[in-house]
Amino acid sequence: MQRLYAIIWLTWKAAFRFRLIWVISALLVMAVVLLPLMIKHDGTARGFTQILLTYTLSAITALLGISTLWLSCGTLSRDIEECQIQLVATKPIPRWQIWLGKLVGIITLDLVMLALSGAAVYFLLIYRAGKLSEKEQAILRNEVLVARSSLREPLPDLKPDVDRILKERLKSAQLSPDEIRDLRKQIEEQVKAAHQIVPKDYRREWVIDASKAMDSARLGRPLFLRVKFYAAQPTFGGSYLCIWRIGSDKSQRVVELEQNLPGETFNEFPIPPEVIGSDGKLVISFINRNQTALLFPLEEGLEVLYYEGGFAINFIRGLLIILFWLALLAAMGLAASSFLSFPVAAFATMSVMVLFFSSGMLRSSVEEQTVFGRDHETGKPINPLMDTLMLPVFKFTLKIVDLAQSFSPVDYLSAGRTISWFDLLKAFLQVVVFLGGIFALIGISAFYRRELANVQTSGP
Amino acid sequence: MTLNEEKIAQPKNDDREIVVSVRGLTKIFKDFWGRPKAKAVDNVDFDVYRGEVFGLLGPNGSGKTTTIKMLLGLLNPTKGQIEVLGHSPKHVATKSRIGYLPEESYLYRYLDSRETLEFFGNLFKLSVPERKKRAEQLLEMVGLAGIWNRPVGEFSKGMQRRIGLAQALINDPDLIILDEPTSGLDPIGCREVKDLILALARRGKTIILSSHLLADVEDVCDRVVIYYGGRIQAMGELKELLSTRDAIRITTPVLPKETLKKVIDIIRADVGEDKIKIDNPTQNLESYFLEVVKKAKQQALETSGATSENIIAAYLRGEAETSPAEKTEKLLERLTYKPEAAKQPSSEQKTKEEIKIDESKLIALTEIQKQPEIKEKEQTQPQPKPIPESELKKADEKLSSLINKPK
Repeated sequence: MQRLYAIIWLTWKAAFRFRLIWVISALLVMAVVLLPLMIKHDGTARGFTQILLTYTLSAITALLGISTLWLSCGTLSRDIEECQIQLVATKPIPRWQIWLGKLVGIITLDLVMLALSGAAVYFLLIYRAGKLSEKEQAILRNEVLVARSSLREPLPDLKPDVDRILKERLKSAQLSPDEIRDLRKQIEEQVKAAHQIVPKDYRREWVIDASKAMDSARLGRPLFLRVKFYAAQPTFGGSYLCIWRIGSDKSQRVVELEQNLPGETFNEFPIPPEVIGSDGKLVISFINRNQTALLFPLEEGLEVLYYEGGFAINFIRGLLIILFWLALLAAMGLAASSFLSFPVAAFATMSVMVLFFSSGMLRSSVEEQTVFGRDHETGKPINPLMDTLMLPVFKFTLKIVDLAQSFSPVDYLSAGRTISWFDLLKAFLQVVVFLGGIFALIGISAFYRRELANVQTSGP
Repeated sequence: MTLNEEKIAQPKNDDREIVVSVRGLTKIFKDFWGRPKAKAVDNVDFDVYRGEVFGLLGPNGSGKTTTIKMLLGLLNPTKGQIEVLGHSPKHVATKSRIGYLPEESYLYRYLDSRETLEFFGNLFKLSVPERKKRAEQLLEMVGLAGIWNRPVGEFSKGMQRRIGLAQALINDPDLIILDEPTSGLDPIGCREVKDLILALARRGKTIILSSHLLADVEDVCDRVVIYYGGRIQAMGELKELLSTRDAIRITTPVLPKETLKKVIDIIRADVGEDKIKIDNPTQNLESYFLEVVKKAKQQALETSGATSENIIAAYLRGEAETSPAEKTEKLLERLTYKPEAAKQPSSEQKTKEEIKIDESKLIALTEIQKQPEIKEKEQTQPQPKPIPESELKKADEKLSSLINKPK
């Protein structure tokens, strides 16, 4: 432990000595204090949150992410290039401890920086919230500075319907395997649409198990309905009449609402807790009186949010997920610098980051089952050979990327949604233990095998 | 037997504990594609024994530093075996018994000298008081006690060498590997380092010293290997390698002209005049320089550089223990130490002892030297590569002319 501590201390010392800490601190102060002062919010709770929470937390994540990559790529490769590592490696410390000491040094540095900037964001948020109007403060208290959990209707199993329809169609036609695959995809879309689309003058009903929200309801805390829909034919103003009937004969109260809500965005409004039935079910009906069909996506079309806990602990859990990402970046940078020089390691890790952020392109290729597109006339892939080679790589990459990308602490905090302990544990296991562990294994193995005295650059 | 084989003779003292053993050591540096680029070390064998100062000599690029880096596990041998203190060079626990001073200052430039020593002390898991005590003593020893809070990066090269030497000794190592230890040091620093090496060797420490400064090696080493082109060209005890067996030197105070004439006449009876050389012995420049600085110090002139009183850290002198029982044990250990392991005295001491020539030695010296006895090469040593016939012939002719009486 004493040796590990020595390496951690050295990593800290190097960060301070190279003035990296001071530069990051200055940038963090700008992000946390100056950015909200420079960008004025619109006086609403939503606008206030957007600037004070979403922008600042995103800026903090980006700044610490870049500095973590820089530090992790530099700390080991510079030690190797400038030969200091030759002195350290001839002392009785295993190489894995040198590597781990550097990693822990960077993570603890990130922890301190994140804690300080997080605390600054938190207190600024609380302090400046007092300057909002009473109404907006109430919205802020109920919708942002809380930890709310979400309830949804379980996703329907589309497969039996798809199989049945496909079987019927195949009775009347002889199709090639490719054509069958395309047909299946079309049927899937149709069945899914049937669950999502509410045609003109039709009604759609959601039955949600709300037993988890009963405790919150008993305390009289309001529930929130969060909806998002798309219109088949956009209207001039972009808003649509939404008629809701919330509650059932088993609930104490049934609420009927008529609203004009904009499409293609999240809409959130409170509903009384008494609408939950005695059986724990919450029944929500929507009647479409618009001149166009509306589509509520299965995954995010409608959900009910209920109070689960306070903001502070949720905020800390959110910051911890950001820390896990930083730990992953540190492991990645150190792994690269274990066998690459500083500029090459920095370039390699930046490239991985670009790949990470451009995963949308990979995802659409995988969804469309082609990388280079399809021939418009025949519908066949333009380059089937490359598709065969690249699609499995894309799928594998996406699976890895999704392990780290499936958490959105900033979005969750901005929406006042709970980041549960389970989410935190899952993030730790997926991001730090699994992904970070892979990079650590690669890095330690490369560093152990590397001939530390065999560097091309000369000493200082 | 060829010239090379004569010079690569194993020492007689095989019963001594082997600290470093190298067999068939070869290092080939390869390029990116794995193609051989340079053969830095070529089939090298040697042993280093406990308590000896072992020198690696050779011109730049001859393979000395590569050998050292393989001994330390910083480079992997392409072929051959290395054992350091009975283990592989990568054995982590063994490293707690090794001290290493690299050829350049590979120190963290943003740490000050005390932080540097504390950092390395931590890697040896030294307790806080022990670490602090040793750091203080070492800084005192290397003459940097007054400027401990300056970052090492601001130090001159010589000062960086001093702090490098201090870190190499923080763990009171059994095996000390010094790569060009006097490089960048002023003559006082060089003298101090050499004295330190001798003091450490007297305590039974094993020292491997790499240098191309022949005077340094000559002053401190018991045995040396001479590298050229990655191969050992000569190996043996220094005094045997250097002794000129067909000449003698007598040093006396200035004699009256008549006495000197008589002596020369007597010598002339046996040796031709062109073979006799008479001059005044000149003082060694190092000794002269040290004398001048000593005088300056006595006049208390100020300096902003390193200062030293030639103090060796107490724990390195083996005087760190305070209990009488420990002191007695240390004393006994020193007194009962094998005479083979006792170190060579310093050059000044040597000079004093050489003045006292006993009768038998005088007789031996005045006799015409016979052909020096050539040691048989040990069976354990691998045969060096055969030398081409033409070169062999030339070498034999040269050797014959050297060992035969002048005609």
